[in-house]
Amino acid sequence: MKTIEIGRFSDLAQALSTAGYRVAAPVDDGGVVRFKEWTKGREIALGAVPVDSVKDFLFPRSEVVARFALEEAGAFTPVPVERFAPKTVALGVRPCDAAALAALDAVFNWDYRDGSYNARRAATTVVSLACAKADAHCFCISVGGAPDGTAGADAILRPADGGSKLVFEALSDKGRLLEAMVSDGQAVPDAPAALKKRFDPAAVGRWLAANFESPFWKEAALACLGCGACAYACPVCHCFDLQDESDRKECRRLRNWDSCGFGLFTLHASGHNPRPDQSARWRQRVMHKFSIYPQKFKTLACTGCGRCARLCQAGMAIAETCERIEALGR
Amino acid sequence: MMKALRQEAAKLLQEKRAALIIGFAEREGHPALFISKPEDCERLFYDVSCRQNLAAYLSKPEVSARRPVAIVASLAALRSLVVLTAESQAAPGQVLALAVDKDAFLGTFDVAGAAELLRSKYPDLGPEKALLERVGELSKKSVVERAAFWAEEFAKCTRCYACRAACPGCYCARCIVEKNAPQWVSTAALGHGNYSWNIMRAFHQSGRCTLCGACEAACPQGLPLMVLNAALDREALEEFGARPGYDPEGKPVIGSWSAEDDHSYMR
Amino acid sequence: MKTEKADVPTPTTFEPRITAFVCNWCTYAGADLAGTSRLQYAPNLRIIKLPCTGRIDPLFVLKAFENGADAVLVSGCHPGDCHYTSGNYHARRRWTLFRKLLALTGIGDDRLFFSWVSAAEGQKFADLVNDVTAKVRKAGPFQAAHPGRKA
Repeated sequence: MKTIEIGRFSDLAQALSTAGYRVAAPVDDGGVVRFKEWTKGREIALGAVPVDSVKDFLFPRSEVVARFALEEAGAFTPVPVERFAPKTVALGVRPCDAAALAALDAVFNWDYRDGSYNARRAATTVVSLACAKADAHCFCISVGGAPDGTAGADAILRPADGGSKLVFEALSDKGRLLEAMVSDGQAVPDAPAALKKRFDPAAVGRWLAANFESPFWKEAALACLGCGACAYACPVCHCFDLQDESDRKECRRLRNWDSCGFGLFTLHASGHNPRPDQSARWRQRVMHKFSIYPQKFKTLACTGCGRCARLCQAGMAIAETCERIEALGR
Repeated sequence: MMKALRQEAAKLLQEKRAALIIGFAEREGHPALFISKPEDCERLFYDVSCRQNLAAYLSKPEVSARRPVAIVASLAALRSLVVLTAESQAAPGQVLALAVDKDAFLGTFDVAGAAELLRSKYPDLGPEKALLERVGELSKKSVVERAAFWAEEFAKCTRCYACRAACPGCYCARCIVEKNAPQWVSTAALGHGNYSWNIMRAFHQSGRCTLCGACEAACPQGLPLMVLNAALDREALEEFGARPGYDPEGKPVIGSWSAEDDHSYMR
Repeated sequence: MKTEKADVPTPTTFEPRITAFVCNWCTYAGADLAGTSRLQYAPNLRIIKLPCTGRIDPLFVLKAFENGADAVLVSGCHPGDCHYTSGNYHARRRWTLFRKLLALTGIGDDRLFFSWVSAAEGQKFADLVNDVTAKVRKAGPFQAAHPGRKA
């Protein structure tokens, strides 16, 4: 059995860093726990669910996808863009965030194989951390996950001996490459967090498929103020906007995150907006996650991490919406 | 306090003085609650942990379609209501405030009444001392240190615009950052775009911000937005005597002028 | 016209790039007078002419810093002289607040200058440009690490 003392956890990060990996881990950043690049000496915060997820390392919030050198008289030459895909270990990834990778893999390899996403995905080893605790917003168990789920992970760390140790278990070849960095030991794994199933996603999907025009949406979306906090924090949301930015010497084509919560997201050049109000946008968000996506990719676009609800200033909680939808369908 | 608030809200609905009440729910996080039936007013809640400024909903089309509206309003939200009225954004007679302050229910007010209440009982609302100390500390640093501080903070910004959505003052149908011909503010969540965005957000609130703190509370990344807001609030007060949110007929600081304004920094 | 060469600082001498936003009626005419009077002044200024200081959006200033300016000068008609009556008064309020915001976020008053220069003040304009250029030269290049600078 491979074990790590909780207090020596950053030693593993250091060993990985020494071995040439970029290490991403949850770090306490002035009171906010972020999933970010680990640097020497930083403590890894294993207690809280970070505000960002491993998604940020595979599909960054802004990325240059093309460059053009601008010349006189409107001429331009494409400039090759160096692909950024360093060898990375994502350490302490929540099982819900690791599970989200299946949904991301599906969409980034659908009608078009996304080169930069796939390059980073191939270069990343996901070491997840089973949850011994859950909060009121967690609902992985309702969407097919589990606090100690292994989907998407190359290795998993399980809290043991009352939280004083972690048991390391490799789940893939990538994960086995890290085994040598963890020492042998003995420990008794702790029980994973206890969660109650709150709704049945299949029942939610059935109601959604038949109730696009329901008056439910108008009322359910009243509180939504139309920001992108939920989509940007979501480990599955992957919509983006391509923007060209240029000065007199160069044009950069950027891929930036976008959110269906914004009014501009579907605004046509004519001025017409097929999703004219926030209820149409909130409906899109719920339908995409529980109806459209599962129909298309056979996987839900929600892994129950609860970030959207945790971060929403207006208290929009997707699990609660699903509970209400399930009740409507009965 | 809660009892008085609930009774008053139910009365407004019964007497048809309001068709919609926007308040806070009791459950965790105290999300906004929308009520149109008197019996549902029992679900209303308020304490200081209710951080949203509900005046932000007044510019939402789905809400303005259901006027007359009454909102549960803290002192800062009352000021926002007055600012919105001064800027012709709140239909007169169509918006009421169920005023609350910490653990007291102060009564129902129309905009004129809210302004009167603020002027007579709370004439000196401003940034809290701790916030001003943070501004002071930052001001004492060198420009290079200040740049480094904000470089680190702004780098966290994902451009989710939760700050904008939270703010009653951010009611533009199309924000400057969404105008792309020309694209003045880069939409990439990278250095210079994040700087421009955060600077312009703060600047567009100067002399209008009521320091409710909803933007900072809404920021998923915990950016210290109130440091910028408070600094501008004090500057607008010192330079132009600006006290936004006290006069529903007052002119905005930016958008008006006086020949007497100081310009000692001009060469 | 190609003036690119003068833009490139060499390792030994730093030639500041200063963007000036000026109004059409006073400061631009003042600059013109400096020219027709054959007054010599530092060649570090790039003038952008706008109808009025009231038209100068603070975003212009951010854009200049974004794209490589070491300093920005904003100049227009003296109070009372605005050809649109009150554009410069409006602008003045804006700058009073905006310069504080920039100072707090790392762009100090050694980078951001404001002045009133009338159409008759060719000499004042030349002196101003020399003085501003000297100050920016002393301050050095705008820090590459400033968050407002394009990477």
